[in-house]
Amino acid sequence: MNDTTAMGIKVVGVNHRTAPLEVRERFAHGAHEVPGALARVMAAGAAGGVLLSTCNRTEFYLVAEDEAVADAVWGLLGERLESGAAAREYGYIARDRDAVRHLYRVSSGLDSMILGESQIQGQVRDAWEASRAQAGPVLHRLFQSALHVGARIRTETAIGAGTASAASAAVAVAGKIFGDLAGRAALILGAGDMAELAATCLAAEGVQVTLVANRTHERARAIAERLGARALTLDEAWPHFATTDIALCSTAAPHAVVTWERVGAVIRKRRGRPLCILDLAVPRDVDPAVAQLENVFLYDIDDLQTVAAQATARRHEAVPAAERIVQEETDLFWAWYGGLAVVPVIKEFRSRIEALRAAEVERALRHLGHLPPEDRARVEQLSQALMNKFLHQPTVALKAAAEEGRGYGLLEALRRLFGL
Amino acid sequence: MILTLHLLALALYGLATALTLAPVVGLRAPPRALTIALPCAGAALHVVAVSQLTLVGLAPALSMLALCLVLLQLASERLVRGSAVGFFTGPLAAGLVGLALLIGLAPGAEPSAGRNVWFILHVALSVMGLALLALAFIAAALYLLQFRELKARRFGRVFQLFPPLERLDQLNRVALVAGFPALTLGVLLALGYAVRFAGGLHVGKAQIVWGMFTWAVLGWAVWVRVVRRWDGRRAAFASIAGFSAVLLVYLALKLAQPGAERFL
Repeated sequence: MNDTTAMGIKVVGVNHRTAPLEVRERFAHGAHEVPGALARVMAAGAAGGVLLSTCNRTEFYLVAEDEAVADAVWGLLGERLESGAAAREYGYIARDRDAVRHLYRVSSGLDSMILGESQIQGQVRDAWEASRAQAGPVLHRLFQSALHVGARIRTETAIGAGTASAASAAVAVAGKIFGDLAGRAALILGAGDMAELAATCLAAEGVQVTLVANRTHERARAIAERLGARALTLDEAWPHFATTDIALCSTAAPHAVVTWERVGAVIRKRRGRPLCILDLAVPRDVDPAVAQLENVFLYDIDDLQTVAAQATARRHEAVPAAERIVQEETDLFWAWYGGLAVVPVIKEFRSRIEALRAAEVERALRHLGHLPPEDRARVEQLSQALMNKFLHQPTVALKAAAEEGRGYGLLEALRRLFGL
Repeated sequence: MILTLHLLALALYGLATALTLAPVVGLRAPPRALTIALPCAGAALHVVAVSQLTLVGLAPALSMLALCLVLLQLASERLVRGSAVGFFTGPLAAGLVGLALLIGLAPGAEPSAGRNVWFILHVALSVMGLALLALAFIAAALYLLQFRELKARRFGRVFQLFPPLERLDQLNRVALVAGFPALTLGVLLALGYAVRFAGGLHVGKAQIVWGMFTWAVLGWAVWVRVVRRWDGRRAAFASIAGFSAVLLVYLALKLAQPGAERFL
């Protein structure tokens, strides 16, 4: 079934409201895993798919009619749960207009743990790029419009006001331990964008990023040069836990790299000086047992996002305006999407009736050869007026139903009734 | 006049305390300027009132202790933006002024000129020493609460309203290190005053023993802080132990000798 206009749009997934971090980190898909996952779901009957996977959500956007695609998604995610629990217990499905509205809310940060955070905009773009080959025309249009909606809402409302991101929350948490951050030493583990963003935020507060450690030395060196720090490999980093004030961890490792065994003895050499460890990675980089060490303050991404969420009070005031834009843009998209299916059918319907009318009028006029030309024209006009009157209400109802997301049933009925 | 000024000061302290505590109960935080201006105005009236007291007896001492606490609260706000200190000093100062009013405040006879300086210095240093130790205690308590919240990754009101750990540690250190010598000097001046003007010491053996014990506990708290370089949680516990010793010994002596009016 490749006629996407006859299919619905669905989103099947989990997010920070429905699934805990432990589950979300299992469901997270790296960019290299996206094509394979989408291929499996599309094999179940989807005509297009985009996989959006961030630390807060894993969502499959699909163009599909059959509910079996949702089962395919739950099956795929469920394989990542060791406990044998059903993935659907952690998730949700939104359909058609609700799915469109959901993506617009996601891209504008309305659905984020940190209201209005801007990072999601880039993540939506990346997801679209990564799924480009499998997205199909409807999802291409949808994601394109989602980016437009996100940008529009950030421009026209105060939804992005302030610095309520996880990176700025990292600064706030470190500030609650050290007070003045100027002159504090920071060690960065991992060389991803998140680590660099948080490090930049810390550096803006006067923190001296002295060391950047990464599995690959080259990548560490690239970031270290930008931050004026020294590059290390991960194994060289552990002794520096004795001296640094802030350790910022954001590696792409699939398991904890900062463990009690690696840093426990080193941290005891600090003689009680506080150490703030900010674990921005999903899956987490730091073994939670490390937090039990004296004067070690460990925060993971959920903690930081909780802190950041508290800074969103002002952003909440912008929510009604942002929601209005989402609604307006959803209507626009749905009008387009509904039009994809309705316009050709209406055209065909009208041309079929027009052909019938023309044939019947011509046949009638053949028997009315005695009529003067003005009367013949009047008959022609009468038939056209009747046809327009008859077609007006069904056309309006069909367009309205399409805009409301109820057009498919009517279209199907029309096709059957008139043999379109 | 003294009563009126004290009542006005009490009203201003009470209002400032209510405003300071508003965010604790989930209400909107008042402007910072207001939470500073109100105790400032109260302290100004309080200074005028205290200047008219003879500083003899418990009620004037309590009034002066309250004034010192408010002044230290304002200094904390200025130095470490420690507005949370006011959560404790505000009610404490208001309570002490209220207690002083209940006990009875009245202008007394002027001490002789020779005794005046000794006496004022003794009272001022002792009371300021106690107020500083109370501030150290409050900073230590705030530190431990904030530490517990940060360690437990709870980001509620304590996290939001309390100052950062290192600032509280710094406040605790300054208050303890300044409070101990101030109190010691105040006690030494009292001894000198007693020998020179009162014909010798008129204190019981228990007061001397327990006074020395308290001094030793406070001295230990300062020693571990300054010499052993304790900081953070251990220093906070030491500081709390020191001030608790002061309070417990005072209460024990008061209960054992109900008629005694000596401050320690």
